[in-house]
Amino acid sequence: MSPTTPAVETDGLTKRYGDFTAVDALDLRVDPGTVVSILGPNGAGKTTTVRMLATLIAPTSGTARVGGHDVVRDGDAVRGVISLTGQFAALEGNLTARENLVLMGRLRGHGRSGAATIADHLIDRFDIGEFRDRLIKGLSGGQRRRVDLAASLVVQPQLLVLDEPTTGLDPRSRQVVWQTVRDLVAEGVTLLLTTQYLEEADALADRIVLIDHGREVAEGTPTELKARIGEQRVDVVAIDAAGVAELRAALEPRFDVSVPAGGRTLSIPAPEESLDLERIAAVVRGSGVPIDELALRRPTLDDAFLALTGQPPSETASPESEEVAA
Amino acid sequence: MSTQTVRAPDRAALPDLPPRPGAAARYVRETLLLVGRQLRSIPRVPERLSDVTIQPVIFTLLFLYVFGSAIAIPGTRYQDYLLPGLVAQSIAFGVIGAGTATATDFSTGVIDRFRSLPVSRLAVITAQVIGQVLEQILGLAIVIGLGLALGWRPDVGPLDVLLLVGLVLLGLIAFTWFGVLMGMLVRSSDAMQGVGFAIVLPLSFLAGTFVPIEGMDAVPRFIGEWDPLSTVVAAIRYVSQGTEATGSWPLEHPVIGMVLWCALIIGICVPLALRRFRTTSAA
Repeated sequence: MSPTTPAVETDGLTKRYGDFTAVDALDLRVDPGTVVSILGPNGAGKTTTVRMLATLIAPTSGTARVGGHDVVRDGDAVRGVISLTGQFAALEGNLTARENLVLMGRLRGHGRSGAATIADHLIDRFDIGEFRDRLIKGLSGGQRRRVDLAASLVVQPQLLVLDEPTTGLDPRSRQVVWQTVRDLVAEGVTLLLTTQYLEEADALADRIVLIDHGREVAEGTPTELKARIGEQRVDVVAIDAAGVAELRAALEPRFDVSVPAGGRTLSIPAPEESLDLERIAAVVRGSGVPIDELALRRPTLDDAFLALTGQPPSETASPESEEVAA
Repeated sequence: MSTQTVRAPDRAALPDLPPRPGAAARYVRETLLLVGRQLRSIPRVPERLSDVTIQPVIFTLLFLYVFGSAIAIPGTRYQDYLLPGLVAQSIAFGVIGAGTATATDFSTGVIDRFRSLPVSRLAVITAQVIGQVLEQILGLAIVIGLGLALGWRPDVGPLDVLLLVGLVLLGLIAFTWFGVLMGMLVRSSDAMQGVGFAIVLPLSFLAGTFVPIEGMDAVPRFIGEWDPLSTVVAAIRYVSQGTEATGSWPLEHPVIGMVLWCALIIGICVPLALRRFRTTSAA
C-alpha cells in the first residue's frame, strides 16, 4: 500500500436484504494514517458497512477497495491488511486468553515461537497478564474486550476496524479503549471506527461520517461538524419560575441566556467548556438563588441529527439491524 | 487497569512473518491448527464431553438391561443385536453434536474472526468437520469398549474389521457434514439441539436399532425400511454379526446401500454447506 493509496475507498457501496436497504450507495474514503469514524444510530448500517470491508459479507452493488485491493475479487489480499474487531468479542471461549492470541498468530502465518512472542508482547501491552491463563468464557466483559483488541493486533494490520468498541463498556474500560486507540494512531495505524456516541467520534476521529438509513447525511472534521451542530452549553435548572427570573437577572448581564418557553432550564453557550462552567457557577452561587442542577451539556447524537438533518435519528427495527447483523 | 499501563509498543522487536507457503501447504497447516483448537476445547466443556462419553454409556446400559430384559430377538443374543445398532446410532447422533458445535461457533462470532484472517475458508470448515468426527470417534470407542465388556461378541475377521472401520468413518463424515450444514442453517445451539433430536431420535428408533423393523405396523415399517439410518444399522450388523435384513433394496444390500446413502448425503450437504459458509456470517 503506497502512501497515496487510500486505506479504504468505496464507490456506491450498497447492501440490500430483500426490500430492505442496509447500506445505500455509500462513498467512503479513509486516508492512510488517519482516523475516520462512522457515526450513526442503531440500524444505520455501520456494522453492515464494516463487514463488507472485512469481506465477511458481499456487497449487493458498488465497489470497495481496502489498501487498493477489491473486496470481492481479491478478498484474500484484503484479509491480509485489515483487522476487524466486532461488537462482541470474537474469541474461542474454551481457550485461555493466551491460547487465543497464540492461535491467531499461528493462523496469521507465524511459527510457534513467533506467535508466542507476539502473544506475550500483547499480553504485556494490554495488561492481560493476571488473567492470561483463564478461559475466555470466565472473563468479564471489559477483560474480554481487552483480549479481543489484542487479538485484532496480532495480525499487525494496516487498517484496523473497530465496530462500536465501547458499546456496553463501563467508563473505565472505555477510557482504556480510547487510550489504546490513541496509542495506535500515534504509531501510524489507520483506523476506521464505528460508534453511536458523538463524544467518542469527537474524541478520536480526524473525520466523521454521519450516516442514517445506510446513507451519508453529513461528513467533515469534528470541528466542522460541531460548528454546524452548535456548541456545548451549560444548563442551569431552577427550582421554580421565580428562581428562573432571579437567575436570569443575575446571569444576563454577562452571558447569552436562553430559556425555552415555560421551562425551568436556563441554557448558556459554553465554548470554553469547564471555564465557562466555573464562571457561570460563580455567578449562580453569588446570586444565592437555590437551583436543582447545574451541568455542562455536550451535544448528543440526537442534537447532531436535529441540527444536520432537521430530524431525530431513526431507531429502525430492521430485519438486519446492527444487533442482528453483528 | 489505569491508562498508563498501556505501553507504547516496541514493534521492531516483534518477529516478521515467515515466507508464505504454497496454497496446499497453508490449507493443511491451517486445518490442523483449527482442529487443534477444537480438540483442546472438548475437555473444557463438561456438557459436551458428557454428550460423547456419559450419554452413550447410559444408552447402552439402559437398552441392554431395561429393554433387553423384555426383547427377545430370535437366533441371537440381545447384546449382539443391540450393539451394532448403538454404533449406528452414535454415528447418527453426530448430526446433533456437529450441528450444536457449529451453531455455537457461528453465534459467538469466532468463525467470523477466522474468516476475516487471511486463512483458507475451506480450512475453517474442514477443521469443523474433522474436529467433530474425532469427537464422535471418542464416543464410539466408549460404546464399543463397553459393549465388548458387557458380552457383545462380533463375528468378524480382519477384513471385516477393516470394512467396519471404513463404513463407520464414511458414516461419521457424511452425518457430520449434514450436522455442520444444519448448524449453519439453524444458527442457535439450543434450537439445533431441539431440531436435531426431533429428527434423529425417531429415525434411529424406526431404524431397527433396538427392535426389528419386521415386527412394526405398516406405516412405521415402511418408514423404517427406507430410513437411511436403517441401512446404516443393517450394514454394521451385517458386517459385524453376519445378520441379513430384508424389506427394501438398501436393507438387502446394506453395505452398498450405506455407501450410496452416505455418498448422497455428502453430495448434497458438502456443496450446500460450502455455499452457505461463503455467504453467511455470524448470527
